[in-house]
Amino acid sequence: MVNSNANALGIIFPNSYDALVPDLVDARLMASIPFASRYRLVDFIISSLANNGIDNISLVVRQNYHSLMDHLGSGREWDLVRKSGGLNIIPPYSDKNVSVYNGRIEALANILPFLKNQKEKYVILSDANLAVNFDFKAFINAHTESGADVTIAYQAAPIPEGLLTAPAVSNVLYYTLDLDDSRVKNIYINSKEAGIQNFGMNIYIMDRELLIDQISTAFVRGFRFFERDILTPQLNKLNIQGYKYDGYVARITDTKSYFDENMKLLDDVNLDALFSPNPIYTKIRDDNPTRYINGASAKNIMAADGCVIEGDVENSILFRGVKICKGAKVSNCVLMQDTVVEAGAELEYVITDKDVTISAGKELKGDKDFPVYIPKRKTV
Amino acid sequence: MAKEMIAMLLAGGQGSRLYALTQKLAKPAVPFGGKYRIIDFPLSNCVNSGIDTVGILTQYQPLVLNEYIGNGQPWDLDRLYGGVHVLPPYQKASGSDWYKGTANAIYQNIPFISRYNPEYVIILSGDQICKQDYSDFLRFHKEKGAEFSVAVMEVPWEEASRFGLMVADENDRITEFQEKPKNPKSNLASMGIYIFNWDILKKYLEEDEADPNSENDFGNNIIPNLLKDGRKMYAYHFSSYWKDVGTISSLWEANMEVLDPEHSGINLFDENWKIYSRNSGMTGHKISAGAVVTNSMITDGCHISGGVKHSILYAGVKVEKGAVVEDAVVMGGTTIRSGAVVRHCIIAENVEIGENAVVGALPTETEKGVATVGSGVKIGAGATIGPKAMIDTDVKDGEERW
Repeated sequence: MVNSNANALGIIFPNSYDALVPDLVDARLMASIPFASRYRLVDFIISSLANNGIDNISLVVRQNYHSLMDHLGSGREWDLVRKSGGLNIIPPYSDKNVSVYNGRIEALANILPFLKNQKEKYVILSDANLAVNFDFKAFINAHTESGADVTIAYQAAPIPEGLLTAPAVSNVLYYTLDLDDSRVKNIYINSKEAGIQNFGMNIYIMDRELLIDQISTAFVRGFRFFERDILTPQLNKLNIQGYKYDGYVARITDTKSYFDENMKLLDDVNLDALFSPNPIYTKIRDDNPTRYINGASAKNIMAADGCVIEGDVENSILFRGVKICKGAKVSNCVLMQDTVVEAGAELEYVITDKDVTISAGKELKGDKDFPVYIPKRKTV
Repeated sequence: MAKEMIAMLLAGGQGSRLYALTQKLAKPAVPFGGKYRIIDFPLSNCVNSGIDTVGILTQYQPLVLNEYIGNGQPWDLDRLYGGVHVLPPYQKASGSDWYKGTANAIYQNIPFISRYNPEYVIILSGDQICKQDYSDFLRFHKEKGAEFSVAVMEVPWEEASRFGLMVADENDRITEFQEKPKNPKSNLASMGIYIFNWDILKKYLEEDEADPNSENDFGNNIIPNLLKDGRKMYAYHFSSYWKDVGTISSLWEANMEVLDPEHSGINLFDENWKIYSRNSGMTGHKISAGAVVTNSMITDGCHISGGVKHSILYAGVKVEKGAVVEDAVVMGGTTIRSGAVVRHCIIAENVEIGENAVVGALPTETEKGVATVGSGVKIGAGATIGPKAMIDTDVKDGEERW
């Protein structure tokens, strides 16, 4: 095989951390949350994999995945329409009744026959709640050079507020690493430690054969969680290495962080960091360019194509097809696809989901620390 | 399985009057309207009209066009049977020929058309901006029982002598054809869009090829021959927006008309007749805090910190702080440095306009020229480019070109 392809396949868990953003995932899942004016969260991890020569990618979906299937289609936009490998969405398996998995072990146990049939030496596991331009080639190299059994990507960062205050539901687990040099000595679950932690990104690489063995064994014992039930008990037996990631990470842990992470991209330093070195691909909508009509005023915004701006807008992120009518004032807002702000309406610190209409003259004000969220297709 | 109608798109034109813009690419590949190329219009019209088989005849500088068309996926023209095919001239056992004329280009591709054995063939031109439903044109052709139909536009009588004109009776049957006549008998200008019955087209192409004195041109040879034989020829009236963007000023004007869909009649914001294009894949555009953007169209990857007024910026254009862009068409990847003033002009792709440089000028009573800067050119800091200039080489700092 020529060097263009990495010897790894990717498995993505698009429903991870859905529980953190109940509003945003009402009609979708974490992976398909719109982000950064024209993307969905999953675009970042899939583009990163594809850009690094990983073209066998499976998404093991759990629920609410129609929007994801609509978004990804055959995977063409990510160059993942392949005879061998390509993009593969694995829905819950319907036997006598539809079984929805809980935790990675069950999810992977469901696809063991698939895993056994693949050719790639390594498997990369990832969630879809991070926007990253991840260098998977460097990650794979670090893994092979260290001779590790499992490598875990982490960032040196404090635990986000959204996780510290998350409802105590069993499927919201996060991990911090205790490292000796780069070897993982301990994995803490849902730590409340303050300050900078070795904060796990839930991106893993390991040998495919090893993964199959581990999952088979763990599943028959009724285990659910890969980190808690496979990695933590075997810290001495397996060589588990930490891989520090220094690149830009946007992490969605609650509605506020969703708002903040969008806003941070108004700073060019952050935008350039997230969108380099490799391009991020997304579904094409064939919108016309955005039109600024006479009398429009735009200050410090990022906008996708297809918008029509007649009013005032500042410090905001506009997704595709947003209309801001005459006399409307929009500041510090995230307006998702096809939001219409009618004449004279005023919005401040508001997140509108897709197809929201703000009627003429209405005023809506949220707060910097508590942006107002308007659900999909609602008219205010 | 035969196709009802396939399209043959003439895209070989050099577009010599666009000079600096067509040094390295064919006219149909010239960018237009912020995120499109001219050829997106006929291709999107085909798909929106239900035509799924298109042959694109290329000859001049085909590299950019070939790459752009690719497998035709952005236009939904990647089909198992049919789809889009780029057809350059090729070598045959008996030698090879460049396309000698529009009719010869189709003649050389008779084997391509025969593979689909269509009932009708529509001949399109790759250098027009127009949204047209070709299925309505075909319906007209069938209703009239025509063997040949041509789409015509009414033009002002005083301009009629610049066009090829169709003289038609009250049933739209064509009785005479005048090519750029001094004394026009009609104001129905041919748009260069034809529907032929395939058997008729094939017969006349073969006869035309056998005639050593023919220029192998539809307007000059095929249409007069059809008329001579009393074929059933009809003129299909088209009255919406149509523009031949063959000159710098018409290309500039058409871009500006896109900015004013309410009055110009060219509406790219039409959900029911989308124009498709190959996507730049860049992030959403950014307008900085100090920027002023009015009456303009901006697309992905643009980064505006200066002033932009009544202009169209293509993907990835950067306008630095203190720069002024007015009445301008600025194509993809171009950077306009701080303090530069760019007015009433067309700037091609990947140009760099240096700090405090001045390009073009707003039109006056006596000077209405559209300054043009070709792709990849660097305009030095403080340089001045006059309103009539056509620049295709780098300009040094402080230099003046008029």
